[in-house]
Amino acid sequence: MAEPTLNRRRFLALFASTGASALLAACGGSAPETPAAQAPTTDAPAAPAATSTPVPTLAPVVAPTAVPEPTKEVATTAEGGVVYPDDAAPIEYQTFVTYIDNTANFTSPDFLETVYNQGGFGSIVNVLGEPLIRLNKNFEVQPAAATSWEANEDATVWTFHLNPELVWSDGTPLTAHDYVHTFRYAADPEHAWDFAWYYSEPGAIVNWDAVVAGEKPLEELGVTAIDDYTLEFKTESPAPFLPAKLLYSQALQKAAFEKHGPLYNTDPATSVSAGPYILKEWTKGSRLVYEANPNYKGNNKPYIQKVICIYAKPETMFTGYQQGEVDFVHSQFLSSADLELINADPELAKQVRLNSGDFRTDYLFFDVTKAPFDDIRVRQAISHVVDRDTIITNILTNGQAIPAYSFLMPGFPASNSDGLKDIQAYDPEKAKALLAEAGYPDGQGFPKLTLWLRNEPQVYQQVAQAIAASIKQNLGIEVEVSNKDYKTFMDALNAKPTQIDFGMVSYGIDFLDPSNMLGVWLSGGRHSWSNEQFDALVREASASLDMEGRIKQFMDAERILVEDVPAIWISHRTRGDLLKPYFAGSELEANIGGFSAIQWPDFSNHSSVIGSMYVTKDVLNYRKEPPK
Amino acid sequence: MARYLLGRILGLLTVFLLVSVVAFLLMHSIPGGPFDEGQMPLPPAAKENIRRKYGLDKPIYVQYINYMSNAIRGDFGYSFQHPDETVIQVIQRTWPTSIALGGITVITGLGFGVFLGIVAAVRQNSWVDYIVTLFATLGLTVPNFVISFWLIMLFVIWLKILPIGGWPENWSTILSGDWKYLIMPVIALSLTPMGIAARYTRASLVDVLSSDYIRTARSKGLSEQITIWRHALKNALIPILTVLGPQVPHLITGTIFIETVFRVNGLGKYFVTSVVQRDYPLLMALMLLIAFLWGLVYLITDLLYVLIDPRIKLA
Repeated sequence: MAEPTLNRRRFLALFASTGASALLAACGGSAPETPAAQAPTTDAPAAPAATSTPVPTLAPVVAPTAVPEPTKEVATTAEGGVVYPDDAAPIEYQTFVTYIDNTANFTSPDFLETVYNQGGFGSIVNVLGEPLIRLNKNFEVQPAAATSWEANEDATVWTFHLNPELVWSDGTPLTAHDYVHTFRYAADPEHAWDFAWYYSEPGAIVNWDAVVAGEKPLEELGVTAIDDYTLEFKTESPAPFLPAKLLYSQALQKAAFEKHGPLYNTDPATSVSAGPYILKEWTKGSRLVYEANPNYKGNNKPYIQKVICIYAKPETMFTGYQQGEVDFVHSQFLSSADLELINADPELAKQVRLNSGDFRTDYLFFDVTKAPFDDIRVRQAISHVVDRDTIITNILTNGQAIPAYSFLMPGFPASNSDGLKDIQAYDPEKAKALLAEAGYPDGQGFPKLTLWLRNEPQVYQQVAQAIAASIKQNLGIEVEVSNKDYKTFMDALNAKPTQIDFGMVSYGIDFLDPSNMLGVWLSGGRHSWSNEQFDALVREASASLDMEGRIKQFMDAERILVEDVPAIWISHRTRGDLLKPYFAGSELEANIGGFSAIQWPDFSNHSSVIGSMYVTKDVLNYRKEPPK
Repeated sequence: MARYLLGRILGLLTVFLLVSVVAFLLMHSIPGGPFDEGQMPLPPAAKENIRRKYGLDKPIYVQYINYMSNAIRGDFGYSFQHPDETVIQVIQRTWPTSIALGGITVITGLGFGVFLGIVAAVRQNSWVDYIVTLFATLGLTVPNFVISFWLIMLFVIWLKILPIGGWPENWSTILSGDWKYLIMPVIALSLTPMGIAARYTRASLVDVLSSDYIRTARSKGLSEQITIWRHALKNALIPILTVLGPQVPHLITGTIFIETVFRVNGLGKYFVTSVVQRDYPLLMALMLLIAFLWGLVYLITDLLYVLIDPRIKLA
């Protein structure tokens, strides 16, 4: 039997037909129109943003078709005694579904066990305990476990009075002894808490550093129980901001700790909660479910009865949100392609909830102890070629950031953005002059630079590229952008002497006081800059009880910081999270900054949003059945 | 035979030792550690506490000896990423899922790929052959993350017939609807092995089919079926086995990308997260696991050669 041979004619025919069909596929038709949304669903598929090339959109977004008024009864009360508003959905729909990054490390949901291993951005944690205070949407300190507190004259001894009604989910009372035990555990050298710098200066708890170093026993830590419901904190220096700093003070139950160890909250069988939720289910790597705690006696009673967290890969989160799988996506997980899509779609754009987040500022920094950055003119020159407006308009988009000319974001106490905005303004001519004056006209003789990034997501890599291009264009300096692994970066940064000459990094607040943010720049911290005047001002202001005077001192300190240019401020992140429109509550409405969103510190018991957020009947337009 | 096996096992143990030393040194040469300083730097005392807790304050050779002496007894310590679980428990929890996904892929990818390769070789230079070759090339060249997103776009967004990700809880739930979870990860994962299998099978079989004894078999009047299945295939099998054997450990230890995109809770992601998080105990255990599986696969393929080709003798 003769085998078919491949001769020239056949080859050409095959080639032509393949080429023609490829051409047709490329130019050709729009993808099939999707049928109009069936009654409850609204998420008509738009092209997924998972691929980086823009994909032609499919059917135009279809507004939800009107659904007849549901006949289900609205829940009037739930376990725990919340009374639902009239427009609330039936109780089985009072759920909040969100994602956890399945590549992040999630060891424990308790802050005082670990801070860096709580599942990364967007994970729901810190709901199983009751902190001493919490914040409302305006970042004001509210009583939580502590109903009242007072300080002595120089704010070095603080007494907190606990709510005697608080109980653990196993019925035992929550007492000051649980708090003392937890703080001792946080300082315990055996525990090796990864956030052990936090209760150090400013306003360090007495003996904190000594206990952490193993020099003094745990019992000598400045946290004591005067009686079962009175807790006393002693600080080394005056700490007028101590209540705000005690935002992360959720106690672990002493009994459970002693029986099952510090990780007792990682297993529903051993988990005990004094907070608004209990741990119902945790399949590691797959799913985490919290349910409302029927024994909760605190003042943050939840309307949302069930919180479901699904582990997923960040690149698929936006797609899942569009499909209606979740109610919320943290802005950290939105790529620039996702953002473009959101901006082009009016329905989705309305679901972006801008908020000030954790007042995070992105900045470039220098190692000011080494040439060429030891010359302030060089630093100033570079500060004048960062075109923040263009970067934000073109890369960060949709209000995901505002330009930063100083460190403290507008809305943060002691912020002085207007007063400082001319110091590092965009002015390429001035930059060229300064660089020439420093001895590098047109960048001649200037070494090639490498800009280190700390494992930044794609949008921020683009920001860095834009800045590098601007430096090259305006100053003639070659800059290579290098996105480093997170730990490699931090290791190099914190090495003494620091190994990073020129880098980009961000800082977000830990507690709401200028001593926290400005404290980052004290000598001996994570940057190599050191200024005695700045140090003196910040230390003095931190310990000062003169509320107005200290703000002025912080502002003066920030002026020194901005003028000396150890860092070039790029942008403040106004987070734009995605939240489905069927959530309501007074804490979700506009705060003093004008933002209406789930404010920092996000959906946790550190925030009063839990005691306010509920699902409205609108959810029935989006979900056919309650999520499980 | 017994002597041969003994020799191989000793060789495997030597490889283990070498792998463990190299992996250990490499691991500790990367800057950073299993702790974080994303906000403020830790005070030196606190950092020392952490290093002591993880045993990192001892000299490297002491750490190595401690680790290996425990490992020999089966104690790989606690994972730094999951301090409440031992390394063995982490692997026990996640590896079966990867084996399941990998096992299915071996059948669909390698098995089906071999079948396609046979078909293509038998109908060499026909349209069937061209389609298979095109398909195989696509499978080899298109990265699996591109395929994954196209599958999601097709099945989840356009057709809406599959869930975005997940994995069946156990074998009994598969029939009741959990089989939907299998489709996309298996397709995405199978395409590259399928491509490899198809191409190597085709090439090897084509080579064999043109040899003299096959022509003799045909001229003797043997049917095409018997010629191919009884005579040609067995001889073509050796190169196929050499190439496909190592695919198996690669597939059953999971791949981070497919597993994280489709939310398959398997072992694959730990190969990457252990490095990023500097989870030294788990990372070492995984390196040794890989070394073991590869050693085992090579041993099995060597034994299979002897079975297939009587000319080959064990050394």
